[in-house]
Amino acid sequence: MRFLLHAVLAFITLAIPAPAADDVEAGAVQILTANCSQCHSKSAAMAGLDLSTRETALKGGQRGPSIIPGDSASSRLIQAVMRQGTLAMPPLKALPAADIEVLRRWIDGGAKWPDGPQASDAKWWSFRKPVRPQVPRSGNAWVRNEIDEFVLRKLGESRLHPAPEANRATLILRMYFDLTGLPPTAAQVRAFVEDRSPDSETRLVEELLASPRYGEKWARHWLDLVRYADTAGFELDPYIADAWRYRDYVIQSFNEDKPYDRFIREQIAGDEFFPEDPVAQTGTGFYCVGPNRDLYPDQSDINREETLTDFVDTTVSVFQGLTAGCARCHDHKFDPIPQADYFRVQAIFAPAVKTKVALNRLSSLGYEVAANVREIKLREIGDRIRAVQERCRKEIADWKKGRPTDEAIRACLSPEESAQLREIETQLVSMFANYQPKPFACGITDMWNVSPKTYLPEKSGRAKQEVEPGFFAVLGGGEVPPAPDKRETTGPIPLYPTTGRRSALAKWIATPENPLTARVMVNRIWQYHFGRGIVATPSDFGSRGRPPSHPELLDWLATEFVARGWSVKQIHRLILNSATYQQNAKATPEAAERDPENLLLSHFSRRRLQSDELRDAVLQVTGSLNLSTGGRPVVPPMSKEELHTFTQRPENAWVVTADASEHVRRSIYLLQKRTFRLPMMEVFDTPESMLTCPRRESSTTAPQSLTLLNGPFAVEQGKKLADALVSESKDDAALVDAAWRRVLARDPQAEERRMAIDFLTKQTDNTGSRTGAAVELIRGLLNLNEFLYVD
Amino acid sequence: MGFGAVAACGLLPGATVSPLAPKPPHALARAKSVIYLFMHGGVSHVDTWDPKPELARLSEQTLPGNFVKGLKTSRIDFTKAIVRGSPWQFKQHGQSGIAVSELFPNIARHVDEMALIRSCHGDAFDHAPAMYLLSTGSQFPGKPCLGSWSVYGLGSENQDLPAFVVMSDGAMKSGPQGFGAGYLPAVYQGTLFRRGKYPVLDLAAPEGVSDRTQRATLDFIGAMDRRHIEARPGDTDLEARLASYELAYRMQTSAPEAVDLSKETDATKKLYGIGDPVTDDFGSKCLLARRLVERGVRFIQLYSGTHQGDDWDNAHNDLVTSHNKMAAKSDKPISGLLTDLKSRGLLDSTLVVWGSEFGRTPLAEGKNGRDHHPYAFSIWMAGAGIKGGRVLGSTDEFGLRPVENPITAHDVNATILRLMGMDHTKLTYFYQGRDQRLTDVHGEAEFTKFLLG
Repeated sequence: MRFLLHAVLAFITLAIPAPAADDVEAGAVQILTANCSQCHSKSAAMAGLDLSTRETALKGGQRGPSIIPGDSASSRLIQAVMRQGTLAMPPLKALPAADIEVLRRWIDGGAKWPDGPQASDAKWWSFRKPVRPQVPRSGNAWVRNEIDEFVLRKLGESRLHPAPEANRATLILRMYFDLTGLPPTAAQVRAFVEDRSPDSETRLVEELLASPRYGEKWARHWLDLVRYADTAGFELDPYIADAWRYRDYVIQSFNEDKPYDRFIREQIAGDEFFPEDPVAQTGTGFYCVGPNRDLYPDQSDINREETLTDFVDTTVSVFQGLTAGCARCHDHKFDPIPQADYFRVQAIFAPAVKTKVALNRLSSLGYEVAANVREIKLREIGDRIRAVQERCRKEIADWKKGRPTDEAIRACLSPEESAQLREIETQLVSMFANYQPKPFACGITDMWNVSPKTYLPEKSGRAKQEVEPGFFAVLGGGEVPPAPDKRETTGPIPLYPTTGRRSALAKWIATPENPLTARVMVNRIWQYHFGRGIVATPSDFGSRGRPPSHPELLDWLATEFVARGWSVKQIHRLILNSATYQQNAKATPEAAERDPENLLLSHFSRRRLQSDELRDAVLQVTGSLNLSTGGRPVVPPMSKEELHTFTQRPENAWVVTADASEHVRRSIYLLQKRTFRLPMMEVFDTPESMLTCPRRESSTTAPQSLTLLNGPFAVEQGKKLADALVSESKDDAALVDAAWRRVLARDPQAEERRMAIDFLTKQTDNTGSRTGAAVELIRGLLNLNEFLYVD
Repeated sequence: MGFGAVAACGLLPGATVSPLAPKPPHALARAKSVIYLFMHGGVSHVDTWDPKPELARLSEQTLPGNFVKGLKTSRIDFTKAIVRGSPWQFKQHGQSGIAVSELFPNIARHVDEMALIRSCHGDAFDHAPAMYLLSTGSQFPGKPCLGSWSVYGLGSENQDLPAFVVMSDGAMKSGPQGFGAGYLPAVYQGTLFRRGKYPVLDLAAPEGVSDRTQRATLDFIGAMDRRHIEARPGDTDLEARLASYELAYRMQTSAPEAVDLSKETDATKKLYGIGDPVTDDFGSKCLLARRLVERGVRFIQLYSGTHQGDDWDNAHNDLVTSHNKMAAKSDKPISGLLTDLKSRGLLDSTLVVWGSEFGRTPLAEGKNGRDHHPYAFSIWMAGAGIKGGRVLGSTDEFGLRPVENPITAHDVNATILRLMGMDHTKLTYFYQGRDQRLTDVHGEAEFTKFLLG
């Protein structure tokens, strides 16, 4: 192992051109902060060692100096991280070889601390407003747009070259999945492959961006970020009424390319900015679709605290890419967010309450006559039912303690009483025959234009201290202006007055002046296309996050995003039409060795389909997919085994959608319960939706293979396609060709066709029927890496 | 390539390594495996492990306000409810003479092997938050549980079986998040073992598919995938997925073998109460737990009680019936497990933990019940070199609050990790800008030293 490490280090030393001294200094200090400061900071200083300043690091700890400037080999720090001798640091996990190399260079170069640019002051790169960089002009024919110039320059610095363009069949598959989450059909692939016109790729991008499927795919990313679910979690896991309206709002927003700054305003303060626009207010559903335990009323104080924490953490994480949570308990150790700042932001949400957004509100008619009549009738009917049951309730209660069950009451009723109840039931049903509930969305608004006060948590030695609403000082700070006086408002008058706190927050965030907003969003878009962000920690742009691999490109994209009216689709266009994106997924040996993580983008990074894409792709290729859009969440049938971990009685809480054609809709429309993920979605890494999820994992586990091989969904879908193909194919060769086209969107190669025909023959023997064999063929194809991965 | 490779929601792209390969502990590991017996619903401490004669003396009276100040729970009002003595007798057992109620006559015979902790306390008085608190250190779901942390820290000795197995009578009030991996990679998630020959979901080949057919289809997948990989050399993800199909196939043999109790002797089965309708179910699970320990499974979480039927929590309405019934189902099986582990020499390297999300109020709920009581409750541990026959901590004369050595969920978890050879302050995972720990910033009242004497 040690030999290997040395070999790797030696190689890296040769292969990577020396970065600028500034980069080494910043990088080294960042490595120390990220890996050592938990134990070796000013406050912890284990073994007497504090690595937070040059002075204390040179002085060292109980074992003597840790760093000898100019002599990395003799520096105890290097011996410790190399795990030579008695010390092996960090204790749990060795540093990556590349990090060790940065530390060595840094010490050999004198171990200088950079002048200032640490996150603990406002000079940290991400806290400075992006400055539009000069675009390099390489004159290289490979370049198609500005993205490529930045990428090419970085590749050149490492003497790497871009990969050739992906073949057209690969490219269309990649673009389809990336923009719509669905595979193209074989006919679409063929048409694209045969289209020789120079703008065919650009036209394909336009076609896909215009597809309603685009919003369904990209809303999924957003819903992961905002920890969306249809239920609230905890043991009762109740429905969040109308949560799905927010889901549909997000889909619609992506489809119509709503400017991102407006998208932010609607979600944080749609009620304040757009009091006459219920769609915009639906955006505030952002704050309703998270977890809550409001059903535990005895703990309402704790619940409120948890809710506010969720609001602040999710807002700051999603829109600002910062982890503010640490500052709830103490001043942030690594980023310059003092505890007071955290509570200033929390104070912004202090007056916020959940509300129902009337989607077809008539301001002239706040009062609905029909609903009022129905309410009165319902109360009457309730009284009548109770009157009929009264005798039994008393009787049962006499000899059996506790509340009588419905079953017990039913058993006790006399025939006359039962008949009376049946009659009432008929009336009840007829009352609701033409009933259509008024459409509502869930959202938040302020309870009034005044707010409860917010205090810093009390500590020993510190008096109770009130904080005013405001924003992180390091990002420009500022106080919230006082609540507007309704009488002085010249614009539309909202139904109820609010404090204006959230609209102030939205203004701070949704502006080009904010150094993080645009960067964080373009980085997210980039990550969803390339598998990895320019900043690999998409919700941590602070000092413990990863530094950008292409800082200038990030800033260029961020400023371009703003210049193009915060249009998300414009960023897609830039990325998908770039030569960088259209490379093939083959790493050269040089690239695999020098840049194994493909940070420099010398080729495209292959990715596995996400859970939703996988389920949707299966439905698509078997011809089952129902593409209808929007509406209440669909509850698909599940076996008893699959519902084993269900927290409630499934007959009460897993009410399968009656219309079976709904069961095969796109995954984004399925019920998302907080305490129960569909087993297939769960094993393929669907997040739990308790906390914001900026990046899904892509694991490889045996349960995945089991579910796709043996699970009821895959088996049923496989049978469906097999049946169709058997009836339409005259012989095995035709069957194989049709199967390949349907599942893999291409023709089989001759060798594959031969293997598949042999397989059919063998499985016809084993299963006793051609249909049985065809089922096996489809089952096999749906499990292929080729089906599960996008090149 | 283990039961799984690589990571549900992380922040950094990772490399493909075998995340369940055995990893060295931080220090000497006393327990190679843990069996955590979780009595789901809330077991009354004052009726089982923590005798309080004062309750009988003050029966039917309310307690003075200063005793119950600040206590609240789900249904009763501490200032108005009346004291109720235990309906069960307590008897001293073993050489240590520790008093145990007649609810657990069989487990009581093991008191000299057990360390009893009477001073546990928490602040969550509803089931789900209390269960999350105990297993994940946070009342809020979405954090990794103890079992997940264990296999994250130590990996597994058996790559053909899940490293972290969960067995339950049915759904838990915590939902699967009670044994979830939270922000840790999905591969560390507890795997629910169901009853029957195929304990893992979708383990059996589809109906009507013979082993021959299944094998041929797997071979076809393998052949096609190899062609695909040849054109994409060096991609370890693709190779790992190919391998996962072979592992899935091996599991179709290894898992049914592990859960097949038919080769156990009648004497062994009898020890666990298998065959007796009252104890058969829980006894089978306890015996299976032992078999999993033998096969190198790292962590086994075994729940007694379900949300959808028999439940310790029926003590709300009827303490006597619920506790008699649930104790009868689990007493002999747990005793059998301790005996069996010991006679096979496994107890020294296996930690057995018995616990519940909270105790129950020493005050009465209605005519016959007791409410949730998170402010004091008891757990016990055995095996893994623990010096038994001893009691840690104590509660006040009514069992309302700890008075000596108060112990939190964090302290319990820190101790369990330490017995497994891990330092709870060093077992960390970087998420949301910080190195997260099972014990957060707590766990300072870890009591390993007490346990080991």
